[in-house]
Amino acid sequence: MPEESILTDDFLRELMNVGEVDILIGIATCNDAKTAGDVILAVRAGLLKCFPRQRAVIINADCGSQDGTPDLVRAASISDMRQGPNVHALRTLHCVSTQVPGDPHGGAALHTFLAAADLLRASTCAVFAPDSTAIEPEWVERLVRPVLRDNFDLVTPLYRRHKFDALLVRNLLYPMTRALYGRRLREPYALDFAFSGKLGSYFLGRDLWTEDSVQTGAETLLTTSALGGDFRVAQSFLGERTRGEGSPPDLVSAIRRTAGALFWSLDGNYPAWSNAKESQPVTTIGAEHEISVEPMRVDRTRLYELFVRGVSELIEPVLKPILSPATLAELQRITALPEESLRYSGELWVQTIYEFAASYHKSVISRDHIIQALAPLYRGRAFTFLVENSDATADDIENYVEALCLTFEHMKPSLLQMWAGEK
Amino acid sequence: MQAPQDALWYKDAIIYQVHVKSFYDSNADGIGDFRGLAQRLDYLQDLGVNAVWLMPFFPSPLRDDGYDIADYYSVHPNYGTIDDFKVFLDAAHERGIRVIIEMVLNHTSDQHAWFQESRKTRDNPRRDWYVWSETDTRYKGTRIIFLDTELSNWAWDPVSKEYYWHRFFSHQPDLNYDNPAVREEMWTVMKFWLDMGVDAFRLDAVPYLVEREGTNCENLPETHAIIKELRKKLDANYPGRMLLAEANQWPADLRPYFGDGDEFNAAFHFPLMPRMFMALKLEDRKPVTEILQQTPEIPPNCQWCLFLRNHDELTLEMVTDMERDYMYDEYAKDKGMRLNLGIRRRLAPLLDNDRRRIELMTGMLMSLPGTPIVYYGDEIGMGDNVNLGDRNGVRTPMQWDGGWNGGFSAADPESLYSPLMLNPVYGYQAINVQSQKRFDHSLLFWMKRMIKVRKSQAVFGRGSIEFLYPANHRILAYVRQLDRDAVLVVNNLSSSAQAVELDLRRYKGNILIEMFGRNIFPRIGELPYLLTLGPYQFFWFRLRRI
Repeated sequence: MPEESILTDDFLRELMNVGEVDILIGIATCNDAKTAGDVILAVRAGLLKCFPRQRAVIINADCGSQDGTPDLVRAASISDMRQGPNVHALRTLHCVSTQVPGDPHGGAALHTFLAAADLLRASTCAVFAPDSTAIEPEWVERLVRPVLRDNFDLVTPLYRRHKFDALLVRNLLYPMTRALYGRRLREPYALDFAFSGKLGSYFLGRDLWTEDSVQTGAETLLTTSALGGDFRVAQSFLGERTRGEGSPPDLVSAIRRTAGALFWSLDGNYPAWSNAKESQPVTTIGAEHEISVEPMRVDRTRLYELFVRGVSELIEPVLKPILSPATLAELQRITALPEESLRYSGELWVQTIYEFAASYHKSVISRDHIIQALAPLYRGRAFTFLVENSDATADDIENYVEALCLTFEHMKPSLLQMWAGEK
Repeated sequence: MQAPQDALWYKDAIIYQVHVKSFYDSNADGIGDFRGLAQRLDYLQDLGVNAVWLMPFFPSPLRDDGYDIADYYSVHPNYGTIDDFKVFLDAAHERGIRVIIEMVLNHTSDQHAWFQESRKTRDNPRRDWYVWSETDTRYKGTRIIFLDTELSNWAWDPVSKEYYWHRFFSHQPDLNYDNPAVREEMWTVMKFWLDMGVDAFRLDAVPYLVEREGTNCENLPETHAIIKELRKKLDANYPGRMLLAEANQWPADLRPYFGDGDEFNAAFHFPLMPRMFMALKLEDRKPVTEILQQTPEIPPNCQWCLFLRNHDELTLEMVTDMERDYMYDEYAKDKGMRLNLGIRRRLAPLLDNDRRRIELMTGMLMSLPGTPIVYYGDEIGMGDNVNLGDRNGVRTPMQWDGGWNGGFSAADPESLYSPLMLNPVYGYQAINVQSQKRFDHSLLFWMKRMIKVRKSQAVFGRGSIEFLYPANHRILAYVRQLDRDAVLVVNNLSSSAQAVELDLRRYKGNILIEMFGRNIFPRIGELPYLLTLGPYQFFWFRLRRI
């Protein structure tokens, strides 16, 4: 079985000792000692508090940390010899660490979790980011319970976000996923989420583990698999989403992991997304949206400059082959505007994205180049978002995003036509 | 009887707990008696037990099944006479079976002559034999033990017009151990029975002997002083006899009852028992290893007594709230099974009549450090009847055969002290000694074999224990050692087959010999020793170096 080849003998032996579990928690790390310890302890506390009777295991897929991250994970075990003060547990809790190739966002980590879950027959799995510094023990319950008790197959998070946070999610991932798959998952490709053993086994068994998109966007593909199949999805409010003090994520990598995987998934899921009509709400546990609006300094000028430069550099090699003449012309027009006048409208943005998706489908040029080319264009859209919402309230932001979502939905027929080669 | 030369006999004992009224009725009055018990001693000898613990048989109004004593110097007429007891005692001794009797020190029945006198007037000579108070506010904070029936540890006496202290039922007033006369009288009581030849006393409810304001009235230093005094007298005048403590306490609080080897010889390990059941349901050894890690060392002449079930409810006093809730949900889904922070069920029904689990739990009982106690009827897998009220459901008549009254009594069934078990699963026609004697694979035969193997090695009763902690938490493994003898015990707590790798390098070079079949297993080497066990299977291996 393909999944077994990624399990080392030592890891397999540890899984044998763990035995069947009800809940598997996965945490992928790479030199995250500063934050992972607290995350693990919060997860453990959540398991003890909310699921004291369930058999659970914490699996750490580590890239080869040099800062002692795996030791922190193992130290959280609850066994005959190790419990720690103020820890009251009915059961043993194994905390197992194994090394995987690549970075923690690579497909190998999720692949490892899925394989372990399959072998251990875990009915419920959850993944937590190692740098979720605001994590609370209750996050475990909010993600796990809907799967464990209410038979949902995928539970994505909802966070309290600043109005200028998660712009990629607000401007592309949420509205496009909603338009295509017909379900309003606000954070479709998060790093904290839960899924059922049933969904995990289905995804594990798909013949895609050698694809590049899996290596970079496995979590995204898990979500699109759920949305494209007969699976129940929900979203659950967790709290503040904060990140550790490491360097901010690279935009191209983030786009590759999310939008790139989303685009890739459209081929395989065409019957599902092409037939999806008007989007529907999904079961939401807790608040659907909490937006904070306190003042925040943002460097809009930098965004403007990167947008303009990026477009001009990419026009000939990338944008001309993949965009329609009308879209390209409009894009060139707004790129020539001064900073104070630049507005990347919702309609243009959606048209751009759909033309990119169709070009990706047809592999007009290298697919990775198509994805990379989104980065500067996204910066232009992000710039517009910041300008148009500089004084926005939380409700204003909600309405703004909702309007963009509706634009994605209304223009979906255009994508379908392009997909079919009718445009 | 060997008493002086075998002062530590209780370490090698296999104790059988029995209620006289439940075992065998010789005179067809519907109640078991001493003559009947004497007639069934061959059965006990054949089973292999070498000590019998009798539940209270003194005269009593029987409102607490004999734990409410009205006369310490006689036998309840239901069970026979003093002479009947003496005949039984001698017959037991002839078969190498020692006899342990109950000694309820803490309280008497309110029908006892002492209390009847004490309550008459406030200046009665026996007034101070009990604990009286004008108010019911003294000793605040003392927990109530019989929560289901008592609202207070004080009861108003309309005769005496004062309150009296009772830690158990209100008809069981506590004796006042601050009174030297009480202490002296109770020693006289014990001497009465010791002179007759009784080998040991199970002292009931010892933590509660003394009360002091500002304390929880349990485990007080004064209580330990009383026990020391008793033990000193016992050793001086009756060497080789044994005091067994009933003290339902955490291990750290139990330890003082052994003193420096100068208080109790033995004590029940109450906290371990529910955790064995918990470990089985969780399929995780953690509850067992955890409590035994917390169990302090005891003096070399002292012993733990282990049990799975007894005449009381399966007590859940010495567990956390979370553990208690878990036990209730797993073992007593029907709330009628719950009583006084416990579960009033027998062993077989608790384990869903699963032969494998019964054997596994019995195997652990027989191999963990301590003296095992078998509750009557559990050796054939008797069931319970929660509809009988209080704890009577686990005290039904012994089931000897499938005939009249299950062979217990020739009386009319309606006159039995308790109804028999009748249902098709646990009823006397399905579960009885006679039918189990007919085939080699019965639980009874298995139990006999188990006891025999246990008795074959002194290491079980007298040896040390070293836990192995294999990574597979479903496996409970330990090595018992006494001098050069070592036994490896491996228990699979899981309902599914398990593989386990044991680090036995310390015992490298030893050959494992499985103790029931006496077959040879591979020699221990440098590598982890791999074993596979079926669901609920266990192994006992002797380690031999040849």
